[in-house]
Amino acid sequence: MLKIENLHVSIGGNQILKGINLEVKAGETHAIMGPNGSGKSTLAQVLAGHEEYEITDGKIEYLSKDLLGMDIEERACEGIFLAFQYPVELPGVNNTYFLKSALNAQRKYRGEKEMDAMEFIDLIGDKIKLLNLNDSLLKRPVNEGFSGGEKKRNEIFQMAVLEPKLALLDETDSGLDIDALRVVANGINSMRKEENAIIIVTHYQRLLNYIVPDFVHVLVDGKIINSGDKNLALELEEKGYDRIVEEAKA
Amino acid sequence: MKAVETFTTDFESTLDLPDDNLNLLRRESFEEFKKHGLPTRKEEYWKYSDPSIISNLELEFVSSGQYEDENYDVILVNGKIVKRFKDCQMGDISEGLRSGNLGEDLFKKKDKPFLNLNNAFAINGCYLILESTSRQTIRILNLITNEGKYQAVHPRCVIIAKRNSESVIFEEFRIMGNGTSFVNSVTDVIIEDGANLEHIIMDDFAENTYHVANVCVKQYKDSNFVSHNFSMGKKFARRDFNVELNQSGANCNLFGLYFVDEENHIDHHTTIDHKEAHCNSKEHYKGILSGKSTGVFNGRIHVHPGAQKTDAIQNNQNLLLSDDAIIHTKPELEIYADDVKCTHGATIGPLDEKGLFYLRSRGLNRKEAQQILMRAYVNEIIENVSDEKIRSELMELILDRLPKGD
Repeated sequence: MLKIENLHVSIGGNQILKGINLEVKAGETHAIMGPNGSGKSTLAQVLAGHEEYEITDGKIEYLSKDLLGMDIEERACEGIFLAFQYPVELPGVNNTYFLKSALNAQRKYRGEKEMDAMEFIDLIGDKIKLLNLNDSLLKRPVNEGFSGGEKKRNEIFQMAVLEPKLALLDETDSGLDIDALRVVANGINSMRKEENAIIIVTHYQRLLNYIVPDFVHVLVDGKIINSGDKNLALELEEKGYDRIVEEAKA
Repeated sequence: MKAVETFTTDFESTLDLPDDNLNLLRRESFEEFKKHGLPTRKEEYWKYSDPSIISNLELEFVSSGQYEDENYDVILVNGKIVKRFKDCQMGDISEGLRSGNLGEDLFKKKDKPFLNLNNAFAINGCYLILESTSRQTIRILNLITNEGKYQAVHPRCVIIAKRNSESVIFEEFRIMGNGTSFVNSVTDVIIEDGANLEHIIMDDFAENTYHVANVCVKQYKDSNFVSHNFSMGKKFARRDFNVELNQSGANCNLFGLYFVDEENHIDHHTTIDHKEAHCNSKEHYKGILSGKSTGVFNGRIHVHPGAQKTDAIQNNQNLLLSDDAIIHTKPELEIYADDVKCTHGATIGPLDEKGLFYLRSRGLNRKEAQQILMRAYVNEIIENVSDEKIRSELMELILDRLPKGD
């Protein structure tokens, strides 16, 4: 589904990613772990198409297409979804209106009929329950005045409605208490399917107790220095990043 | 100065009207206007807006025409009443002065050139007296018709909200035809004790329009004024909005929204005079500028001596959608009382890039994302209009007039 080769990325002259290689197949869940400033979030943002980053080398193939040649919205319509680490507040933009417009933009792209208000309400009913979301959040402006946990749940709610092929979860666990973490993780797990893939970006092993990854990669200073299965995450938690880095160098 | 010469000839030709008293007032105003002529950018008050760009136009004075539209309660064509509202006292200026419904003060010479010019041509105009204590909504159309000519019109409207009355006035300015028009409008608003008035003023002009507008509001004890000012600047638009809070307990809430594109120009000068204690004013003006347009917002708050416990808030926000658009924004606070609360703020910036990225990452294209953010931006002002029907009409019109995004 996704094939990243030798990806080099810089922003404002600073090299952030220094040769990333990663392959993600349909049905897989990958976790990318690493210390602060290692480039984890950059990778997620680059995949979503953030225009501030400069791709200095490498290529990304997504569903056999050149991902780097696509606009942000084209990537979304092709099934890429980024759950933001810091969801953006949109004052004055109604949450339901926003999500319905987004869904219809994607449906239009795929040549499907746009949904009217009634069909949309039907569609979101179950997803609201799935994420234990308060109805009133749907009537409020997008993310404005939401608590940290509400923002994260709202991201996963959007994911549930848009049903992406490749979901990028950027630090979705940060700012969540244990109950909320469980709700969010359940939501994500219920969306795991044979034809979809998930990349989870996180500092901590905590979320991975609930969403068990097939692969874990350790990203340090813009490079993946170690890859393994779920046990690597446990090892990281135990030893800390410094030791893993040293062992990788040795 | 062709314009002033033409104004003079046209002024002389309208002096044969029978109302001697009005003619006297008009002459005084015109003499005052001629003494200074059209203002230029050398004057501080006109620093960023140059009305002398009309000085070489031969603008013929027009004051009649016909139009019918059942959606409006009052219709003025080129400043002259063609449709009257049955449920309140109203008439033209001359009738108002003769009957004593209007005081002469409004028409005496002033220190503002365009007020004097409007006074000089105040041969028609209209006044309304609002007395109903159950809420009354009145829609006024100020139509300018101009088929390919160069013309000047001086619409005048006086609104008097009597003691404890409740009203909504929607004053709409429109142009039919594609000529070049100089529109010099004046709206006087007098709000007596305990009256509540919501005033919506909106213009939707043709390309070649030069518009100078003065809105002069006088408020008295415990009156409330809510103003919604929607303007879409064309070649040249200057609107002066002056509110006098003359007695205690008077509150005003001023909302404004302006758009300007291409090489057009829009200027708002607002003044709130806090003359007595215990008055509140809130002002929130927002603009959207694109192309090579220029905008000006000058917000003056004048707290007079003795106007203690004044609470004044001013906020001006501007969205610049292109690198070539310019906004001059300036708060002007003059405070002569020591127990007051006055705050002001101004922002200038492009559409929020983070917001655009977020919207696009959900599948909306750049234009759609820009439209959504702009819609939210304007809605913050429009949503304050209390009448649902007028609000949705305005929303539809304004969304249609918004820049389409890049």
